[in-house]
Amino acid sequence: MNSQYDVHGVGSSRSEVFGWLMQRITGIGLVLFLMLHFWVQHMPTGFLATAAEYSEILKGLGEKGPEFAGAIAEGKIREALPGEHVITYSKVLERLQAPLWKMIDIMLLFFALLHGMLGLAKVLGDYIQRSSLRKAAVICCWAVTLFLAVQGTVSVMTVGMN
Amino acid sequence: MLAVSGFAHQVYRIGMQQNIERSGPSRDNPSFRTFLSTASSYKVRAGMAAWLLHRLTGLALVFYLAIHIMGLRSLSDPAAFEIYITVYRSPLFKVAEVMLLGAVAFHAFNGLRILVQDMFFRSERQRTLFYIVLALTVIVTLAGGVPVIFPYFIAPLLP
Repeated sequence: MNSQYDVHGVGSSRSEVFGWLMQRITGIGLVLFLMLHFWVQHMPTGFLATAAEYSEILKGLGEKGPEFAGAIAEGKIREALPGEHVITYSKVLERLQAPLWKMIDIMLLFFALLHGMLGLAKVLGDYIQRSSLRKAAVICCWAVTLFLAVQGTVSVMTVGMN
Repeated sequence: MLAVSGFAHQVYRIGMQQNIERSGPSRDNPSFRTFLSTASSYKVRAGMAAWLLHRLTGLALVFYLAIHIMGLRSLSDPAAFEIYITVYRSPLFKVAEVMLLGAVAFHAFNGLRILVQDMFFRSERQRTLFYIVLALTVIVTLAGGVPVIFPYFIAPLLP
């Protein structure tokens, strides 16, 4: 068999064992983090604004500056339906004031990125048979991961600083 | 360990050999065409369905993760953030939100199944475990999805 189609360490290479173990650890972590994430961002709890609260918030924003008033008039920022709970900037800011929440969100970000990119690299490796292309794909994956990790961390750490 | 990896390598070599023989002239690019012909010759069983769904939901989630992180850049601008959230509150996105929960739930439960199976169960329990995974996915998607779509699709139907 041509060496360029050769497999790299099926079940024996250290990096494969590392990837497998990382998928297990980040996977279990993600189950816990995502339960919390879903509860906080998608369920009707105090972390979101009720329809009445959101109406008040929009009133305040409309007086705050023309960019808000314009977006509300154009329907780009919309009132909540009866019974709807809305993610809103002030609530997110309030939650992220706590360093613990910042840490939880950044942990979630890193776990998700690591788990996703290890998985994606594995899937790509299954379909790309030429080892040089496979290496290039893995390098691309990690470059994107690094970029997204920096982007996400900056977004979470600098919230409310402007 | 050495024996196991030797065996796995042998299986891999035979598989690759067959793949290359079957693919004929498209030897340099054998993956997609052989994938289609091989996939269509399989009868889909629980194990393969689990593998395929795990892979498809995984790819969808990693794609969404990248979009989500890029969207969070709007946290630097309160007006942009409210506009971004309003887009995600349109009825179509509410349906997508439930589908996202379904994908996460399946991927999580199936991942836990793989973990449990590796540690405690023998092969004859696999199919039962997969059906449990499907049932839990449906339950969690409904339990989490109904509150999400309620103001949009259920409340208007109520008198």
